[in-house]
Amino acid sequence: MMWKSKYKIGVDLIDQQHEELFRRVSNFTQTIRNEENWEAKLDKVKETMVFMKDYVITHFDEEEAYQAKIDYPDIEKHKEAHAQFKEAVNEYVKIFEEEGFNEHKIQEFGGKLMTWLIMHVGNMDQKIGEYMKSKGGQV
Amino acid sequence: MKSEYVNSIYKAAKHVFQLLVDIEPQRGDLKVVEDFASNKDANVELGVKGDLKGKILFSFPKNMTLEMVKIMSGMEMDKIDNFASSALGEIANIIGGNALSLLAQYNYSCDIEPPQIFVGDYKSISVGNEKALLLPLLTPIGEFDITIFLKE
Repeated sequence: MMWKSKYKIGVDLIDQQHEELFRRVSNFTQTIRNEENWEAKLDKVKETMVFMKDYVITHFDEEEAYQAKIDYPDIEKHKEAHAQFKEAVNEYVKIFEEEGFNEHKIQEFGGKLMTWLIMHVGNMDQKIGEYMKSKGGQV
Repeated sequence: MKSEYVNSIYKAAKHVFQLLVDIEPQRGDLKVVEDFASNKDANVELGVKGDLKGKILFSFPKNMTLEMVKIMSGMEMDKIDNFASSALGEIANIIGGNALSLLAQYNYSCDIEPPQIFVGDYKSISVGNEKALLLPLLTPIGEFDITIFLKE
């Protein structure tokens, strides 16, 4: 399991969404790495890709709305990181649409996705929580 | 080569390792080397362009690579496949990006090129008459190297 309680930022809605994202990415990595043959797990891979694409956008929008609500000073930098991530996901979606779901590319995508998610939530998102606490947690 | 290059890269590596795998790498003795070479199993090369030009090479032993990916994913790994090598490439990419942000404080504006990942043999590259620096980093799960060649 990838999720650790130290990743919590102290805002319930965002923490719940992060936990869900980690759960999904964790399931996705387990699926693409299990011993089953590739054809058998393709449906689950496709389903996760659709979920990731939609859920990531919902989560980013809500997290950005929260940052705007608390006047978070680094909101623009954070939005830029989200935009770069969405672009990276969309590039893979495009590759999968054009070339099909080949195992090589899916594994590559999985490794990147996992690393990026841990780094983003473990670092950049923590700063939202720190800012909120510095304001006495009153927002 | 200026000490701020090495210090920024070390600081970035330490930060990223702490976040991703809960490990704080310690600095070994810096060495001057004549070329970019590696006897380690997984290598990630980052090109640097802008005010500073050159390359940064991250070299990891196999067991350390597998252990890092295991810590991150919670899954056992037995070989450096596409999943593991892609995660490793992204780790190096993030360290490089953070190092360049730190170097921006010294008024160097640079970009990194997408990581190139080599699993298995890494063909050494000469740096001509110049010298590169090799920074060994020690961790409880193994020793890895960062070779740095940057010039203005």
